[in-house]
Amino acid sequence: MPEDSKLKKYGMVIDLRKCVGCMSCSVSCKMENGVSFGVFRSWVNMTEKGDYPTVKRYYQPRLCNHCENAPCVEVCPVKASYKREDGMVLLDKKKCIGCGYCVASCPYNARYMSKTQKVADKCTFCDHRVDNGGEPACVKNCMGKARFFGDLNDPNSKIAQLVSNNPVQVIKPGQGTKPQVFYIAADFNQQPK
Amino acid sequence: MSSKNNSFSLSRRNFLKISAAVTATAGMGFGANMLNIKEVSAEESEKLANSLGNVEVKYTADVMCPSECGMEMWVKDGRIIKIYGNESCPFNDGACCAKGASGMQLVYSPDRNKYPLIREGERGEGKFRRATWEEAIDYIGKKLVDIKKTYGPESVIMDAGDVTDRDQYYRLFHAFGTPNCVEHGSICDTPRRHGPKLMLGGKRIEPDVMRPVLVRQPDGSLKKDYTYYSKLIIYVGWNPFVATRINYESRGTVGAKVENGCKVIVVDPAHTNTASQADQWLPIRPGTDGDLFAAMLRYILENDNQSNPFKKYIDWSFKDLCVGWDEFDAEFKSWWGKTDPINGKSYFSLEWAADRTGLSKEQIAEVAHEFGITKPAALVWGMQSPGHHFNGYPASIIGTALNIITGNIDVPGGAIDTELVKCDKGGDAKGSNFKKKKVKRAVEGIEVEGEVEHLHMDWYGDWPAAWDDVVGDYPRRFREGVTLNYGPLKGHKYPIKGFMIRTGNPVMTGGNTKDWIDALNAKDSSGNYKVELVVNIDTLYLETGMYADVILPEASYAERMSLSDVYPSHQVLWLRDRVINPLHESKCPTDIMNMLAKKLSDLGDTDFKASDFWDKYKSEEDFVNEMLAPAPGRNHAGEPVPYPHLPLGYKLQGTPDSLDAGRVTIDHEKKVVKGELVTVDWMRKNKGVAVWPMSWNRFKVFDKEAGKYVASKAVAKTNSKLFEFTFSGYEKYNKLISETSIIPRGLKEIGYDKYPNTFYWFETKWNPYTNMEYAKYKDEYPFQLICGRVHHAMTGTQMVPWLSETPVEGTWMPLNNSFKHKIIDMNAKGELEEVEKEFKTGTFCVGTIAINASDAKSLGLKTGDLAILENPLGAQEKGKVYVTEGMRPGTIKLGFGTGGRFSPGIGPTSKNKDYTPNHSGLVDPNAHSPIMGMPCYADMIIKVKKV
Repeated sequence: MPEDSKLKKYGMVIDLRKCVGCMSCSVSCKMENGVSFGVFRSWVNMTEKGDYPTVKRYYQPRLCNHCENAPCVEVCPVKASYKREDGMVLLDKKKCIGCGYCVASCPYNARYMSKTQKVADKCTFCDHRVDNGGEPACVKNCMGKARFFGDLNDPNSKIAQLVSNNPVQVIKPGQGTKPQVFYIAADFNQQPK
Repeated sequence: MSSKNNSFSLSRRNFLKISAAVTATAGMGFGANMLNIKEVSAEESEKLANSLGNVEVKYTADVMCPSECGMEMWVKDGRIIKIYGNESCPFNDGACCAKGASGMQLVYSPDRNKYPLIREGERGEGKFRRATWEEAIDYIGKKLVDIKKTYGPESVIMDAGDVTDRDQYYRLFHAFGTPNCVEHGSICDTPRRHGPKLMLGGKRIEPDVMRPVLVRQPDGSLKKDYTYYSKLIIYVGWNPFVATRINYESRGTVGAKVENGCKVIVVDPAHTNTASQADQWLPIRPGTDGDLFAAMLRYILENDNQSNPFKKYIDWSFKDLCVGWDEFDAEFKSWWGKTDPINGKSYFSLEWAADRTGLSKEQIAEVAHEFGITKPAALVWGMQSPGHHFNGYPASIIGTALNIITGNIDVPGGAIDTELVKCDKGGDAKGSNFKKKKVKRAVEGIEVEGEVEHLHMDWYGDWPAAWDDVVGDYPRRFREGVTLNYGPLKGHKYPIKGFMIRTGNPVMTGGNTKDWIDALNAKDSSGNYKVELVVNIDTLYLETGMYADVILPEASYAERMSLSDVYPSHQVLWLRDRVINPLHESKCPTDIMNMLAKKLSDLGDTDFKASDFWDKYKSEEDFVNEMLAPAPGRNHAGEPVPYPHLPLGYKLQGTPDSLDAGRVTIDHEKKVVKGELVTVDWMRKNKGVAVWPMSWNRFKVFDKEAGKYVASKAVAKTNSKLFEFTFSGYEKYNKLISETSIIPRGLKEIGYDKYPNTFYWFETKWNPYTNMEYAKYKDEYPFQLICGRVHHAMTGTQMVPWLSETPVEGTWMPLNNSFKHKIIDMNAKGELEEVEKEFKTGTFCVGTIAINASDAKSLGLKTGDLAILENPLGAQEKGKVYVTEGMRPGTIKLGFGTGGRFSPGIGPTSKNKDYTPNHSGLVDPNAHSPIMGMPCYADMIIKVKKV
């Protein structure tokens, strides 16, 4: 890890005004991270609301929220789940004993048990790409240019500016988990005009 | 208003579930203070790739769909390990859709064609034996020589599919002596392109939202510009977020909306994904988009007031750039005095359109007003509106007129005819010169002479106005053969005896499925197949392949070399480079061309010479270099002037850097500027992409003496080089008619004796709400059937399991019955391998029937129920319904090629054929749009019965 990493706080912004519902994030993640059929590190919930003709389809792209207070880290009996100083919540698969506590503890359904590897698995923010100067695959391939990744602690970063210049929301703030994935224009629960 | 939750979640815990309400912090009403987001600087892909060890980064082009985006593929130990969008390609600007990213599951699919096959059973049984290439080529060569001797080379159709690298096959068969070389355009979308073709000489009008564009700056430098100018985009029957033919319309539409406050209106019977991000959804009755356009034009003409800034709709300066407006205007207005028999109302009035479209008068007036007053704007129509209807021609003509008269053609943020501004490519490689060869044929005992081109089954047969090598009704040709009605070889008759089908899958999507199967299976009285030779050249084993005599395995898109440039806003080309070597025993098109040419030469066909084929093209690179030579091949035009040091109006040829640096020779007589020719080598040194500068207003030029803009005559490809409201493009066909007194079959069907000189109007088929002939079906067949492309599940990608995890709009949903199948999937090491997999109920997307919730309720249907769809011709399809509020009542929507799939080569999807509907099964086999002969995919009515 680079030395200045403790100064970083990685996060993601998803601008829902730009999500086109294409699911490139879901499949790009599978391609990048070798995720098998039936499970997802990154996915999109689709919801239709309203009655014809005042109906609207809503997209909610999801992934691990890389919470500041990550319940999955707290419940792990062998410290396989951990939070990096730069904010990424990761999992050491060599240490994981496959107990599944973390899967049960996540309020966001972001973790699953890998049938092929017999351990827990989840989104890593593509740490292998980020640590080498890249961005997560879901951001790189996003068709609507709706996803932004970067250092929330750097006020000049695009993502920090997005967060400070727009009302943003996180999912289930009441859980006290402090997610680091922020949504612009998150109106999933609103009725159409 | 009641609230409904109708949700699909892809969460790992429960694929098909109602999503829990998401708690979110308060704070709505965003939009202000949004940053004008610019792109991240391109990451150094090579550096990143090297972090994974010895990884090579290759820049190439996709062909999992005809969008053919610029791609970046990472290769390790000869295998593709990662796929991303190429950030150097402005068409997709680094973006890559779900399908593109899943490409490894196609390239490494166990269901691919692996080696040549020769049929052993009957056609359609799918019984083949493995053959060597030598054996297969010998079989095809002998048969071709035999057909050529007995019936003439014109008896062979070469259908080269829906990808841009078809030139090798065209060259081969043009040299063989048949002009009947066609591509997918023959069966898709031709009425949609007709208006732009007639009036601009182009093809596809798209909004100016491809960003970045490379623009000349006032200081002389070239910079990537990400600014959006669009203020209004109206998409009519066009769903770029899902049909995704034009990659940049995903990011560009939402980008223009968020960053420039662009209003987006979607006109579509279905609430598409594009509608989900639009400001307004207008659920129009299927088949009435032209009615809406006509009413918009009448409204604008009647209400335009140049002295009222709120009603200054028309930019009359268009008259300096056009011919024929007065005739068009007069003919259009002449209809206002007539009443429509279907509703007794004056044609094109708001009342008339409201009755036919199902929209309100106020909605129609508002959309007309907004389009007139908002500038820049773009009116864009798609495959499912004018594209696939019998009467799509008037719709695309009026749509083009609306973009012209409001001053939106080619202005920043307006509407661009992308066909006219993309590169010229292909050059001599395509072999069009072979069509000039002299031929003799005996007509009623008299020998007549013509050229190969004069044998064309459409241009000199039933469809003289078929443009772009279009051939639309071939099952009929297989049965009836061809009679030439026009030209020097008039009277010559020939049968169709050979059908070479390369990619594409016409049995499922080329018209009515049963009609295709009947035609391919038809036998003569001696029990021989009437079409004596059917060859399928493809990477994949699809339904059409099951009816082939020989299957040749073609290298996948990652294993061959060619070019792409799908409908960009300005000249840009990207290389499809060979990323890995051809897998199994597959071969690239250049090798297949050379092998067949050599075989035909060895068998005594003197039309094939080494100097035209195997000596000339020793590698794919030789062939692609010849294709690249004419690029960009467009006239220097527009503002900002792309190359201020080069003369306007001259044709440009050469690499962007040589033109920019002035390393050119200028031929003032021919008006050509020639720099250093683009080559594969140059492309590779530039991340596979050549980008020439963008400019706007390319159809006009400022005349200082006149003090106004005049036509540049540098871009429009009409005969006059102007916008044409009188259609000179039809004149040559009318000449054929007057010479022979033979009226083409399509024209006869709509009661015309020649192609019209200006505005015309006729009704579509199978629409009881607009055409009196069908009004009697209204009660018994209360549903109109529409069809939309499901990008994730086109006919040739359903062997890719990941794309069965991506639900789409109610027509591709996880409503499967449980089944088992061997798929390619990630193993514990994250590598793809074949595994036997059990798919539980509700975990795998299949083709479904989208139906409006009220309609479903009255039929007693709920999501997942089986229903039968039946049309008035007695054809039936069965499938599971998906109930949605996002559908106009009285409308049923299916995906294209999603259901009823029976080729085992399609992978797991073939297990679901008995409960998924095939849209093509319900298409009228005898309905062909009257000008260009395309199947009428979007004109049908049905009744729905619960099973």
